[in-house]
Amino acid sequence: MFDPGRPLSGVRVADLTMIWAGPYAAKILADQGAEVIKIESPRAWDNIRTLIPPPVAPGEHWWNTNFYFHEYSRNKKSLTLDLASDEGKAVFARLLNHCDVVIENYRTDVMDNLGLTYDWLREQQPDIIVVGMAGFGKTGPERDAVGYGPIIEMMSGMTSTSGYGDDGVPYKSGISYGDPIAGIAAAAAVATALIQRQRTGEGQFIDLAQREVMSTLLGEFYMDWSMNQRLPEHMGTGHDWMAPHNVYPCAGNDDGDDWIAICVRTDAEWEGLKRAMGAPEWSRRAEFSDQILRWEHREELDQLVGEWTAARAKTDVFAVLHAESVPSSPVWKMLEVIRDPHLKARGFYEPLRHPEVGIWSVHGWLWRTDGAGPCIVAPAPEFGQHNAEILGGLLGLTETEQSELEAAGVTAARPEGVPLASEMPPTPSML
Amino acid sequence: MSEHEQRSANGARPYEGVRVLELAEGISGPYAGRWLASLGADVVKIERTTGDPSRAFGPWPDDLPHDETSGLFLYLNGDKRSITLNLETSDGREILRELAESADIVIESFEPGYLAEHGLGHDELSKERPALVMISITPFGQSGPNANLPATELTLYAASGQLWLTGHPARSPLKNGGSQPSYQAGLNAFAALSGAYYGAVMHGQGSYIDLSMQETYAAMAEAFHNRASQLGIETQRGGNFLNALWGIYELSDGYGGICALPRNYPGFAAAVGLPELQEERFSDPGQRLINNDELMAMLYGWFSGQTREGLMELGIEHRVPFGFVATFEDLTGSEHLKGRDFFAERDDERAGSLTYPGRLWLSSGHDWKMGRAPNLGEHNMEIIHGELGYEREDLVRLRELDAI
Repeated sequence: MFDPGRPLSGVRVADLTMIWAGPYAAKILADQGAEVIKIESPRAWDNIRTLIPPPVAPGEHWWNTNFYFHEYSRNKKSLTLDLASDEGKAVFARLLNHCDVVIENYRTDVMDNLGLTYDWLREQQPDIIVVGMAGFGKTGPERDAVGYGPIIEMMSGMTSTSGYGDDGVPYKSGISYGDPIAGIAAAAAVATALIQRQRTGEGQFIDLAQREVMSTLLGEFYMDWSMNQRLPEHMGTGHDWMAPHNVYPCAGNDDGDDWIAICVRTDAEWEGLKRAMGAPEWSRRAEFSDQILRWEHREELDQLVGEWTAARAKTDVFAVLHAESVPSSPVWKMLEVIRDPHLKARGFYEPLRHPEVGIWSVHGWLWRTDGAGPCIVAPAPEFGQHNAEILGGLLGLTETEQSELEAAGVTAARPEGVPLASEMPPTPSML
Repeated sequence: MSEHEQRSANGARPYEGVRVLELAEGISGPYAGRWLASLGADVVKIERTTGDPSRAFGPWPDDLPHDETSGLFLYLNGDKRSITLNLETSDGREILRELAESADIVIESFEPGYLAEHGLGHDELSKERPALVMISITPFGQSGPNANLPATELTLYAASGQLWLTGHPARSPLKNGGSQPSYQAGLNAFAALSGAYYGAVMHGQGSYIDLSMQETYAAMAEAFHNRASQLGIETQRGGNFLNALWGIYELSDGYGGICALPRNYPGFAAAVGLPELQEERFSDPGQRLINNDELMAMLYGWFSGQTREGLMELGIEHRVPFGFVATFEDLTGSEHLKGRDFFAERDDERAGSLTYPGRLWLSSGHDWKMGRAPNLGEHNMEIIHGELGYEREDLVRLRELDAI
């Protein structure tokens, strides 16, 4: 029966992606019901598995257990296969006969170096859909440039838009924002190509440059440059016509770093804010009586609103503003957003059960489809967990053939050269 | 290049023949609709009689506000057809129902419950169209205690946890410029719709999707959210640095930086060329984190002697993740991006010469268009008269009733 939450069921994806951008795409495909086979070499595994050493990644087989890897690899299957070897490539060719999609986010030249060109892939499976996600694309003078999310952000124009405004310093996002953005677009590219294949019977090659996708989120800045040759001004958390519009300090219990965001767009919302504050004397002053005046006097206004919030917990401020329908939100920290009552009421976070780690919560559906079941049906796979299922079950290799592949180092149950947790000296983590 | 020039051999576009109704305003829904239009769908943008509010957001040529020249609107609404409908009138609702009879996809961004209260919810619209795919895009989704709370870009940054993570540790939390909560939601909506429409093509069964901007943004909290949920550890925002090899430095002619994982270190050390980088206190990944401050101080000095272009060339030569903070002047002048046909370059009869991102990806199998955005209600006659069969006199009456 058709599950409306899993419209890609029946689609099989050979997933060669690593780190974050590509795995984020493959996660979306897997959540939508595609069978995603994550393929890693015994000697070149997804680096994210081992970026975070024990004890943060718990258990003896720590390459299977870190939370960073788990977020993006739930609902996927794991096959180990050395694509640099002839035997591995031969197995991959057989696997391609059963696949609809190949997705990779290697450096521009890696697929060609491995001999896995689009032409070769198409020889194995004529209607294959191939999505390459190199940071700067597969063509052009900068094709050999490499970059992770913040580099993509810088090179897309995004970073140039962000800053406090008083020091001229551009700021990056707190996350590697370029990665998930490229991943979402790549998931859309896969579905779009599947739609077209359904009509034409033909596959295609999609060259998706992460930098270009990120740059599409900045249309108004391109237009301002075209129309007025003007570059963006750093506005901090302020706004070019709203006031109050800022983050305001709140009373907190630990670190003096509690904040609430409050924005007033209309006179009605200003009246709501005044009522929430108990209509203090100052709020009736003439210089705050309309939107333009409030914006003109925004520094003083921010100061006064901040004095009101500073004596209160952000959740208390939010409760009275919510009752008055004033746009506002506590600036949720990571330990708080996972307990946000609204997200909780909607069941955004789902429990993830892992045999070696226990239970913790990760985000479930990115979007909710009526009639869909739980998003998470399996934790991230152990390294090579599905080797027998895929090599034996799907491709029909005998147990002897499978053992030979493992003996030759073409497949493995464990990343080569990575010690068990108990064999390791303590190691600092970059996170 | 002409605005409707098609760029690859066979002229095919993947969403040809697909009819989309866009009942969405601002950025998120129109961003999703924009790619569907660019890739071949017939996107009918249904605007309130005063127009999509993004028409009033600018920027405008010479800063002169005008309904038909808002840069944001022109960017987000290319290749769509615009009609006006007042859904508070029964005529307006009837016309929408008639349009929905031929729709494959509906994108809406009204307050939760608005369309259902007006007899235009998914249940009603899909009665005769079981394969209809419909998405609602709202700040907090269709359910839960905040569902009807109004939101802005800033409050959504805050509610998703992204604001907390961004900015200098000794200063207040910081947002990116622009409207990222809306844009990322629009991109997620495009992915949701493409997947759901594929399901509808394969199974003849549509779906209804509830997309919360808060949720799609909260989902990209990287490892920081899981560090909280699995280990109970809070993350402090780090400003422009995660560590010395992951951050933004001042250059001699701007800003730039490095984002290197341990495996990138040998190339990095070769590119920089300072002999100290070969010492174990820096070359060993664990030691490097312990000696991070010293390394960063050294790199401050090194980066301050680099130029943006020079850094890029070094990065390409040594395959090191270097980059610089590019401006929109740099980007529109980039030979790389121009050579990849990234930009739409249009001479708009209302707004003059425009250069802006024209596509998401390149494909060997399909083309895209980056055409003109419609004036408000430009296609009322073509669609309501020409396609739905209303008489011209009816349109006059509908306008007098404020229905269109």
